[in-house]
Amino acid sequence: MIGAGQVGATIVEALHDEHNVTVVDLDPGRLSALGNRFDVATIEGNGASRRTLQEAGLLESDLMISCTSRDEINLIAAIFSRNLAPETSTIVRTTNEEYLEVWRERQLDVDFMVSSELETANAVSRIIGLPAARQTDVFADGQVQIVEFDVADRDDGDSIVGVPLREARIPRDSKVAGIIRGDRMIIPRGDQTIDVGDRVVIIGSPDAARVWGDILSENKRRLDDIVIFGAGRTGRAVARALVDQGLRVRIIEPDPKRAKYTAEQFPTVRVYQAKGFDPEFLDRERIGQSRAAVFAMQDDAKNHYAATLAKLHGVSFTIAIVHEAASTEVFERAGIDVAINPRQVTAEEIVRFAHDPRTRQVTMLEGDRFEILDVTVRPESEYADQPFRTMPIRGALIGAIVRDGQAIFPHGDDVLRAGDRAIIFTESARATQVEKAL
Amino acid sequence: MARLTRARLRRLFRRESIGVDVRSAIGLVGTNVKYLSFALLAPTVVALLYSEPPWPFLAAGAISFVIGLTIERAGRHGGHLGIREGFFVVSVTWLAAAGVCALTYLLTGEDQLAHPVDAYFESMSGFTTTGASVLTDIEGLPYSVLFWRQLSQWLGGMGIIVLAIAVLPRLRVGGRQLLESEMPGPEIEQLSTRIRDTARRLWALYIGLTVIQIAILAGLGWTRIDPSMSLFEAVSHALTTMPTGGFSTEARSAEAFGPESQWTITIFMAIAGANFALMYRALIRRRPGILLRDEEFKVYVGFLLAATIAVTAILLGDDIFNGEEAVRHAAFQVVSTMTTTGMASTDFNAWPLLGLVLLIGLMFVGGSAGSTAGSIKVVRHLLLGKVLRRELDQTVHPEVVGRIHLNRHVVDERVLRAVSSFILLYVGLFVVGTLLLVVDADRVGLDLRLIDAIAVAATTLGNIGPGLGIAGPMGSFEPYSDFSKLVMIALMWFGRLEIVPIVVLFTRNYWRA
Repeated sequence: MIGAGQVGATIVEALHDEHNVTVVDLDPGRLSALGNRFDVATIEGNGASRRTLQEAGLLESDLMISCTSRDEINLIAAIFSRNLAPETSTIVRTTNEEYLEVWRERQLDVDFMVSSELETANAVSRIIGLPAARQTDVFADGQVQIVEFDVADRDDGDSIVGVPLREARIPRDSKVAGIIRGDRMIIPRGDQTIDVGDRVVIIGSPDAARVWGDILSENKRRLDDIVIFGAGRTGRAVARALVDQGLRVRIIEPDPKRAKYTAEQFPTVRVYQAKGFDPEFLDRERIGQSRAAVFAMQDDAKNHYAATLAKLHGVSFTIAIVHEAASTEVFERAGIDVAINPRQVTAEEIVRFAHDPRTRQVTMLEGDRFEILDVTVRPESEYADQPFRTMPIRGALIGAIVRDGQAIFPHGDDVLRAGDRAIIFTESARATQVEKAL
Repeated sequence: MARLTRARLRRLFRRESIGVDVRSAIGLVGTNVKYLSFALLAPTVVALLYSEPPWPFLAAGAISFVIGLTIERAGRHGGHLGIREGFFVVSVTWLAAAGVCALTYLLTGEDQLAHPVDAYFESMSGFTTTGASVLTDIEGLPYSVLFWRQLSQWLGGMGIIVLAIAVLPRLRVGGRQLLESEMPGPEIEQLSTRIRDTARRLWALYIGLTVIQIAILAGLGWTRIDPSMSLFEAVSHALTTMPTGGFSTEARSAEAFGPESQWTITIFMAIAGANFALMYRALIRRRPGILLRDEEFKVYVGFLLAATIAVTAILLGDDIFNGEEAVRHAAFQVVSTMTTTGMASTDFNAWPLLGLVLLIGLMFVGGSAGSTAGSIKVVRHLLLGKVLRRELDQTVHPEVVGRIHLNRHVVDERVLRAVSSFILLYVGLFVVGTLLLVVDADRVGLDLRLIDAIAVAATTLGNIGPGLGIAGPMGSFEPYSDFSKLVMIALMWFGRLEIVPIVVLFTRNYWRA
């Protein structure tokens, strides 16, 4: 691991149990903080130096992750790694979309590349697509969607809320994978009910997820008119993702040059050169009437203030991009609907790649308390060729399987076969166990 | 000693104070005249074919060759030919070309063109592809003179392609630089980075389209679908369609031909009014989709269709024409006026006022940038519209950052300023021209309605051709006084060169070092 910042730390946290991790960073303070928390080796040095890389044991390693905040360092580390140890896989974090494009064109010899901005933008765009969702992610090329919803007190939620699940009218092709009630997680049985105040985790087809969103969201209308505060790299990436979804987007950016540049890049977007903290401006431009606001400024405190102000002006749904690790909780406690940490998102993306080779994808929910795994079933697995009805529930649930590239949302009589990809909701603590069992 | 020092000082002073390399610029004009003189061989051949005297063309050719060569020799070679000299060269070249043409007319000894002002008017109208004529008896002219008159427009059109594609963008004038350099994609970027190459390709397209039109028109005549279309007529009218010229060898212009020929000419006028670089990609590179993606092209076609529908309604409503005739004459007049061609399929002088006002309005629209059409041009209207919309938007929403896009690319604010000032200059010149015409008509006692004066000023400044009243499509500019004709000559010249290159010649800072 090159880089022990927020991204590095999150990755280490997810990987240190099952892997031997060596962390390289220039800052001894960060290294010792990591070394104290986790059982990892640390080396003080420059990741873009061949000697440091050799010292860190690159030659014996399976994977090199370069996730410093500087693109060029990450790329150079990857190039050195490829030269010194051609067998070692490389993952590079980048903030530059151009590098990502070049990599996709296979012009960069890197095994995996992740852009914080793009991952963040995708996360925002997924949430905007499902307004009631706290978090959502897609598996199996978009055939399976997992969503975490807040269950609010609503008049017409009766078909689902407060009724035993076996009687509830659950949308087709979907499954309640888990109910989070306070600190408890419940893997639901037929007699379980969903109550107001719960959070539910749904695994289902994208259509079903939309139906769930309609049932559970406070306003039925799809989020259109979206205001983005801040037109930095993240703000612009979010704008691009939303415009691509066909949504009406407005951007507020105080810096004249950046505002001008943004207006040039987005012909269909209205760009205001203004401060987001000016109540008169917010009022005049009816910012309060927008369905959702995304706060993508550099400073968490500013985002927080602007988001609170926007709420006061009537914006019903607020999404903040946060930068400090502690901010997520602060924001959500303060009533901002969703807080997204780009570093967290990036780390998740990297961890997905670094996991067990049979595990294609991992999503973390509620910080890192729960995980969604995408695991291929081995022939020797004790669960292979078992019908779902007879499977024991041990803190994990198979929400969907992918067979021959086709997503199936299994019922009790369906049988799990070797070679199926199972999409599983589980507590993080059990993730390894689940992987082994399958 | 003192004298010598003063002389040297004066020379130094002069060299520093004049920042334009006039000798090099004049030399280049001479070269242009020299090459133009070869074009006079074409009417010579026509004269021989029709057993008419070829010597006026030979003599005019020889004289202009010698003059051109002399000026070229007198000019400096390898001097500095930059943007400033460019303004001078294009402005003077058009004057000189019209001069060569006028010399030819004078040498033919035709009565109708015996007056130097008349000869120069007809020549300027030719080389600026305007199509306004002082002739009163067109059919009375020999074939060779008629042919030379048609050819002058075709040559003018070739000049305009170079002007529009290569020269004016370099001089940062005209709407084309924003069409060309700012379109996306590597292939679309520039047809060719080398101007000479670009010009050659577009000339090939221009020549090719002319040949196709000749073939179609001649085919219509040969198959007796339109017996009135002889080979000579086919060639003559194709020569004035592609340059959006409008001269005709018939006194009744295109009215002399059958519906099939009129439709053919309508279509080719519409093609001639479209951006040549765009057409090159659509037709030669076989990427027709590019037309639908081009904002200017869409507006251009939209204008043509809307105006045709409106005029058709007027013609039907006033019972002037019925059925296909109404649509055909509406389309012909609309396309002819808007593309600044100026041929006529009917005498629209007799149309109701609303129809006339509509046609005068179209005179200010013009064709697309990068075509041989004159006038303001569609892209400028398009951009002005966007600027106005932004102004209104920012009145209500002062914080909105409005960047103006054309074909998905940002238009530089300086270009927008240039567009606004061009339109102001254009309207200003139009007003001044109208005033001068009205005052002069009053002076010489010519019976001129205000709408006639407006139409004549608009038609000459926009390089269209026919006006209204006595100068209507079947009429002639002959009755106007010499002074009025000089005003019109100036308007044609200004309009053709997009005003700015000429106007800057009259500013002090242009000449200063």
